Amino acid sequence: MAMREPERGEPMVIAGAGELMFPSTRRSFVRRLLAGGTVVLLPSVFSACSDDDDSILGPGDIPDPVTGIAFDLRSDVGIFRLLHLNEQLEAAFYTAVVSSGTFSSFSADEQELFVDLRNTEVVHREFVRTALGSQALPDVRGSIDLTVLNGILASRTSIIAASRLFEHVGVAALNGAGKYLQDARNLLVAGKFASVEARHAAALRDVLPPAGQNANTAFAGDDIIDANGRDVKLEAGAVLAKVASTGLLMAGTLANPPITAGPTATQGVPTPDFFPANP
Amino acid sequence: MDNSQQPILDAIDPEITGRLVSRRDALRRGASAGTRLAAAGLALASVPAALAALSREAFAQTPADVLDVLKFAFILENLENEFYRAVLGTSAVAAQNNAFAPVRALIPDAAKQALQQIQKHEQQHVDFLKAVIPQFGGAVVTITANDFDFTGGNGSGTGPFARATTELDFLLLATQAFEDTGVRAYKGQAGRLLINGNDAADVALESALRIHSVEARHAAKIRRIRRQRNPSDTTLRFSGYVRGGGAAAAGAGNITNPPAEVVAALNLIYGGATPESNTQHVVFNGTSAVTIDAAALGGLGVIDAGDRTAAVTQAFDEPLTKDEVISIVKGFIKDDPARGLP
Repeated sequence: MAMREPERGEPMVIAGAGELMFPSTRRSFVRRLLAGGTVVLLPSVFSACSDDDDSILGPGDIPDPVTGIAFDLRSDVGIFRLLHLNEQLEAAFYTAVVSSGTFSSFSADEQELFVDLRNTEVVHREFVRTALGSQALPDVRGSIDLTVLNGILASRTSIIAASRLFEHVGVAALNGAGKYLQDARNLLVAGKFASVEARHAAALRDVLPPAGQNANTAFAGDDIIDANGRDVKLEAGAVLAKVASTGLLMAGTLANPPITAGPTATQGVPTPDFFPANP
Repeated sequence: MDNSQQPILDAIDPEITGRLVSRRDALRRGASAGTRLAAAGLALASVPAALAALSREAFAQTPADVLDVLKFAFILENLENEFYRAVLGTSAVAAQNNAFAPVRALIPDAAKQALQQIQKHEQQHVDFLKAVIPQFGGAVVTITANDFDFTGGNGSGTGPFARATTELDFLLLATQAFEDTGVRAYKGQAGRLLINGNDAADVALESALRIHSVEARHAAKIRRIRRQRNPSDTTLRFSGYVRGGGAAAAGAGNITNPPAEVVAALNLIYGGATPESNTQHVVFNGTSAVTIDAAALGGLGVIDAGDRTAAVTQAFDEPLTKDEVISIVKGFIKDDPARGLP
């Protein structure tokens, strides 16, 4: 398989004080791995890869890392490019989850859930890529930091916590971006994705609620639904900050700043974000 | 490597928009947009921008559309809210509480907590819409539990969904149907809230999208509860997805002898002009509208061949038109055209 050296991703980034959005449990887990010098790349994780052309991130050759991805949000195309980034990361992540050794320890119910998640996100990724055509983002699988990824894949708890974060960022991104879209057909497609992402998000919280949440109400808990009965919502800049906070993308994958032009006033004006620290 | 995108293309092709988007008469709306904006009490500064947008895009909506959507949503949220209150025994109308007493005794505590959480959100949605409708110049009608017939009998009290008052699995099926209808209704109306350059409409749109995803969470939770009660029915996914379309997508296999009217209702709820089984989706890339068939996508190799058909339907939730939603909910609402109740 096309495995790269794990050093490339500068794993210390994940412990940085500015990257606090991810559950502290996983940060400390990664730290412990590093401190103990046992950053085993979890051979079991790769055991499902049956031939040399495939990796845990999916079939085919994994491309070289890309750098400098930037977003111009002054058009529906620009907003769909942001969607494409999320869908690529989700698809790659769930593909890796289903290929991981940890996955075999999941219950049958959970395995069904994660295969469904993977399948849906792969469809979403390919749909958005097709829709964008020449304006699609490059394949970012080569920019995924395998050390960080494998740290997440080491346990059921960290897999589900990371999945919750991904899905809630996905829901929040779509809920925040809809107002900037200028074409009703594109808004409808975004809506078709959004409720599916919300179904995932609810199912994941139902399987394993964040600490302190009631297991029977976590699917739409008071931490993610505001007093007006409205779901999570993030502006694009915050979406990219959440993505960066996972550490899954190597430094430099996104341009700095990643948004070269925000939505125009005609597209809409920003609204306050609503998103918990640990969705 | 520079991946910044190419110059933006935002030209509108009127031929395509006219052909592919089923919209109401743009002339009528264009003629009345100014007065409606003024009537809605919106900032005058937003008027030129809104009119500019209207002139640029033939299918643009007006504040009158926004108000119509909000009023429609208000009826649906009241229907849901009063349904849950009756189920939970917290309705202001004793007869509604009494009707559901037999099934209420059968609801496990875990499911009851979930239903209470859902009801709380429906009440919040009702209250939110009640506050927002006047901001668009609309009057809020008073709606009570007396306006509804949760048996689907249009006031007879003996409609095809009456078994929801005595059978837990039937109740949960009805609950799922309400929630999935809500998801599809909001999705179908979102485009009518899209007014470029109108900040008030943007707020309404964003709130509708955020309510829409909450309804999807509710539907997913109910589907998970139903699957746990009926593990062999794999139509009900642990992911909470809707697979396929029509009545088969409801996962009603554990309902013995469902009334034909209920099957017909489920066919509407998961069917329609764009059924849940649809795989054809239209995107507009700035220069042209393109229909993409998800069933024909490449790059799906990681998905087991036997799962691909299901995958390409579950990955997209589909809209219902307003008329389709009305045909679904009509039997649950006692007619009162004067108050806008269908």
